[in-house]
Amino acid sequence: MENWIVILLYALAGTVLGGFLFVIPSIHFLNFSGVVIALWGHYHGLFPIHQPLTLFAFFMGMVVSFGIMNTIPSMFLGAPDESAVFVVLPGAKYMLQGKGYEGAMLTGLGGLLGIFFLAIFTPFFFFALPKLHVILGPHMHWILALIIVYMLMSEWPKGTGKGDTWWEKFKGAWANLFAGIVTFVLSAFMGFIIFNRTMVPVKMGFQGLLPVFVGLFAVSSLISAILSKQKIPKQHVGNDIDLDYKTMWKGWMPGCIGGTLAAYLPGVTGGIGGLIAGHACAQRDDRIFVMSQGVSKVVYYTGQFLLFFVPSYFFLKGGLKRGGMAINLSPFYKPVLLQEYFFIFGIVIMAGCISFLLLSFNSKWIIKLIAKVPYQKLSYASLAIVVVMVFFMPAMIEGTVNGAVLLSGLQVIGVMCVSTCLGLLPIFYHCRRSNCMAVIIVPICISMSGYGPGLAKLLGLG
Amino acid sequence: MKGLTHFMSGAAVASFFLPAVRMAGAERIGGANSFILVLGGLFGIMPDTMDFKMGQFFTKAEHEIDPDPMDPDPQMMAEGLGKALDDAYEKGTMVKAQMYPMRMGADLWRQYVVNFDGETNEVVIVINEIVTTSQVPILGSEPPPGKRIGRYKIKGEFNITHGRPSVVDIMSGPMYGFKKNEQGKMEIEFLPWHRTWSHSYVLGAMLAVPVWLIASLAAGWSIGWLYGVIAFLGFSVHLTEDLTGHMGGSLWWPLVKPRCNGLNLFKASNPHANFSIDYTAVVLILFNLNRFAPEPVFTLSTFKYFLYALILPLAFYFSIVKIFGEKKKKKKAGVIAMEKALAREELEYEAEESMGGDM
Repeated sequence: MENWIVILLYALAGTVLGGFLFVIPSIHFLNFSGVVIALWGHYHGLFPIHQPLTLFAFFMGMVVSFGIMNTIPSMFLGAPDESAVFVVLPGAKYMLQGKGYEGAMLTGLGGLLGIFFLAIFTPFFFFALPKLHVILGPHMHWILALIIVYMLMSEWPKGTGKGDTWWEKFKGAWANLFAGIVTFVLSAFMGFIIFNRTMVPVKMGFQGLLPVFVGLFAVSSLISAILSKQKIPKQHVGNDIDLDYKTMWKGWMPGCIGGTLAAYLPGVTGGIGGLIAGHACAQRDDRIFVMSQGVSKVVYYTGQFLLFFVPSYFFLKGGLKRGGMAINLSPFYKPVLLQEYFFIFGIVIMAGCISFLLLSFNSKWIIKLIAKVPYQKLSYASLAIVVVMVFFMPAMIEGTVNGAVLLSGLQVIGVMCVSTCLGLLPIFYHCRRSNCMAVIIVPICISMSGYGPGLAKLLGLG
Repeated sequence: MKGLTHFMSGAAVASFFLPAVRMAGAERIGGANSFILVLGGLFGIMPDTMDFKMGQFFTKAEHEIDPDPMDPDPQMMAEGLGKALDDAYEKGTMVKAQMYPMRMGADLWRQYVVNFDGETNEVVIVINEIVTTSQVPILGSEPPPGKRIGRYKIKGEFNITHGRPSVVDIMSGPMYGFKKNEQGKMEIEFLPWHRTWSHSYVLGAMLAVPVWLIASLAAGWSIGWLYGVIAFLGFSVHLTEDLTGHMGGSLWWPLVKPRCNGLNLFKASNPHANFSIDYTAVVLILFNLNRFAPEPVFTLSTFKYFLYALILPLAFYFSIVKIFGEKKKKKKAGVIAMEKALAREELEYEAEESMGGDM
């Protein structure tokens, strides 16, 4: 076995770096991993070649800390990523009640419970997952289609039903439904274009979805926060949380189910998985919902990457790659030993505990910042950071700044602007923001069903 | 049952058809990448979709009670509802009354409770606190005592078989249907437009016909019938599941129009019932996908499979619920607030009476 102390140090570095980095809006571990891998291409000493597990340990630390830490930009700065979008509304409610810290710690606690779930079900993954994958693998396209249909059908009218005629009542109620369908269709269309004829520079590779997600969720939320001129009341930072074991169980279960669904099914994120699981468990309570989202996010991100470490000899054909991180790192190394799985899981536990403590620390200073700086100014600052990050992402990956890279930056900003407009539709018309996830789930579904090339040709993209 | 439960059940029913599962599989295993199994889920959720997204808007109520959210008048509300009851009593036909919610802002609603008191034959309206869209009350926001409770004594008598107050707060308000029964007592139908024409096996068959025709034209007559059957069965499983609740449905509309009662086994929103049916649906789907696969992955006997995958896990789940779950039925927070307000009113009335007696 490799030098485990060195590997642990890399894991610790990844966790702590992630603990502070992912407080900044729009920084996603997938994008950062692209930058790090690009840097490694220039500076080979960054990760020892003869110890490939250092790379994985570093990124596993980052993945776990992202799963817990991405609550902060979502809840306090109103700039979520695609998995934390469902935390925004209840998070905003907690903030308006002066309980933002409690809300953040609820999601953090959910994250720890998610790691606990992964620990219990590890034996199940070894034996059941390969068999399940053989059964379900050929049916992925219609399973995703089931999720798509349910997402569309389960949105209910939000109008109060007032009106003198049936048409007025119908129109009032269907406004948000229609907006939801339009958002879904346009997002699906955008996703299909991005997958088949992206404007994002080729070298950005897996970062191609960065401007899309940032526009759909982060920038649109920030614009909404700026326009609403929301004032955040004084936040209370307590030493305890209003929680009992029954509520924990009620939050844990749907989160585990949602996160597992999201970790296994391609194109389904933690937020969608949490939504479906929440419907399955039929619970109503903001605390349960917020905690379940915390569980779902961590199980989703960590579970996806962890699946890669389920020893490949348990599978009939090679290992199981889920999620961008596994895909990004698979060219460098493929885990084969059961020992490696348990070692990486130890890193998950360590990273989870450290990230939970960092969540408390970071939440406190963010709350102090919000108290001193008007929320609207913070939103402007977050927006500026997001735009700059997105603009310079091609430069960070290339490792240089020149005319071509800056032009690529403009292209990326262009894509972000389009997706921002789409992301604003659900905010202004009060439909579900999960409809924006059609940007990824519909193209994947179509592609898996084999109709992708035909449709691309029909649309002039092939 | 909840929408997801009907949806999953519809998909599970569809998975029992060998040709459908084979067609749904990927081409690499000899399938056709078909989405036929999604049809079961789609039609599983269809009845409630037709009701809540279409049917409710076409139903006109003879009486509409639309209170002012900034200055709610519970007495006016009670009178409005009471007059609808009197109308039904005098006419002898069904009279519908629509209650509207009181929206106070983007995320704020004034909650109120509607109670039909079978003992005093009164309509009682109690205005509660302002709540958020998550139904979290803002403490201390209830109206002053004089504007909290409204009562109206109806001309007839109630025949309440399942009297339960209705809490009205977010999104939409309930519609009631009032009618006089053969004994001359007033019966109350909650949401008279729900589970009527949309929850009919006959309608399910009628809707399956165009599915059959379109599928046959697209995929051939030899296989088109399967789409129609799956659509019908998905639709039907929804109706059958709804019979477990109180409301039932108009199962043979248009042949028999009145709504029949359900079996009253559990509430539609019961989380344990919903979860166990969702889980059962997943287990059934996996069972069918495996046994219809070109090379089944697991070869357990049917009994052993359902024992390990369904019965034992559900037994474990329900034992956890039994040991740690709520021992008593939990009342809604709005109903508790209403009862407190009524109890306070009762105490004040008794205090006034006793003071008047002293004087």
